[in-house]
Amino acid sequence: MNAVESFPIVLSLRVATLAMGVVVPLGIALAWLQARRRYPLRRIVDALILLPLVLPPSVLGFFLVVLLGRRGVFGQWLDTLFDVRLVFTPAAAMVASCVAALPLLVKTAQPAIEAVPAELEKVGRSLGLAPLALFFRVTLPAAWRGVLAAIVLAFARAIGEFGATLMFAGNIPGRTNTMPLEIFAAYQSGDDARAVLYVVVLTSISVAVVLAASRLGPTQEPR
Amino acid sequence: MSALALEAQLTIRVGQGEASFVVHAELSLERGILVLFGPSGAGKSLTLEALAGLIPAERGWIRVHGQVLLDRERGIEVPVHRRRFGYVPQQHSLLPFCDVATNVAFGLPRRERRRNNPRVQALLEEFGLRPLARARPQSLSGGERQRVALARALAVEPHLLLLDEPFASIDHVGRAALHRILKTTLERHQTPAVFVTHDPEEAATLGDRVVCFERGRTTATGSPEVLLPGAQPIVVRGTPVETCGRMPDGRVRIRIQSAVVEGPAALLEKGEGGELKLELRQRAPESEKPD
Repeated sequence: MNAVESFPIVLSLRVATLAMGVVVPLGIALAWLQARRRYPLRRIVDALILLPLVLPPSVLGFFLVVLLGRRGVFGQWLDTLFDVRLVFTPAAAMVASCVAALPLLVKTAQPAIEAVPAELEKVGRSLGLAPLALFFRVTLPAAWRGVLAAIVLAFARAIGEFGATLMFAGNIPGRTNTMPLEIFAAYQSGDDARAVLYVVVLTSISVAVVLAASRLGPTQEPR
Repeated sequence: MSALALEAQLTIRVGQGEASFVVHAELSLERGILVLFGPSGAGKSLTLEALAGLIPAERGWIRVHGQVLLDRERGIEVPVHRRRFGYVPQQHSLLPFCDVATNVAFGLPRRERRRNNPRVQALLEEFGLRPLARARPQSLSGGERQRVALARALAVEPHLLLLDEPFASIDHVGRAALHRILKTTLERHQTPAVFVTHDPEEAATLGDRVVCFERGRTTATGSPEVLLPGAQPIVVRGTPVETCGRMPDGRVRIRIQSAVVEGPAALLEKGEGGELKLELRQRAPESEKPD
């Protein structure tokens, strides 16, 4: 495998891993918020979290361009204030992966956190744990199987992101051509052998994810 | 100054508008165990959770050994994690990812949080848990789990121990053993406790003082002998001599020769001189959840 062939693999892994750096803390915090707090806009926040999961990826990509593109609502602001232009960069691929993976993580981790018995948290609080300590010493360890399954699924979604990435990051060889984009490009140009390489890599990752998620599933949960 | 172990006056509101339920509780305890007794839905557990600080009280105050932990009018409210109360619920109280010794050490400050901490070891010994120190909660019986929960609550040397029907899902024999161990350890540690139960027998066995709850109100406070005489057995010994007759409703009246009646003073002293009427009732069969 030469550098041109291996580039999409390395890029995809980097994009997905960096995306998880954002998605994991944010997603777990949102899952906890939705599982444990009752506040006025809860339903609307719930709908917003769910939206990227049901929207077609191309629509998602369009929204990203409208919001974060060079003339986008926040994009202009990023450009003038920080001299940052996201469109057609690896960072844009990361943003697209984040948006696609976040709802999957929240919606899988939320039931795991909801399943932690209220009594366990009451006991933890009575034993002197302040809210943050309670989360890290009681809630998260008690829900770790479900949360880990959520992280694994979200990673798989992030590394497989196609539609929004194509819209927002483009398919620039040596810059933003992640594996899913590369498969499409190779197939279009008739280079099936190259497509198969990335198909094998992505399929292997997906199979590993499915196996891991089923092992972490609720059936293995201690009673 | 010999302050009471616990004094509290609490008004708790749950739900909103028409569907709201209000509990008004007045509690006081000199020392020992205060039992909150009443049917389910009377507000006992809500009162206990408000004492712990797990749910807010709308009005009222709490003093423990003279220290004010809550005073709505003066705007004082010590948060739950600083109240230093032990709390033992009916179930789901052990951390499933920690073994027994780690569970017992859980509430200790970081530097002392070791399984071989002498205090942890002493508590394991006291509750007969030493052989189970490395066992996971999932492999324990219901009674063993609650012993671990008690040991863990006492490990932080709480000012007050709060128990919410902790033995409700444990069989009769196991429960009697847990009553003994709870009584003796609380005496040894000089820890006052508030114990919620709907079982009159349990209330009479454990309580130094009993508060009765009915539909969100504390209706009576006193010693278990006075408030729950029916919970202690009245024994009638004698030989039935004849059946005096059958009554129209199918009941039977018998006469007993020179019967001896033994029971709680509160009931029987009133009977002296006058006529004493005893009612025998068949106790409802104990519903025991499988463990």
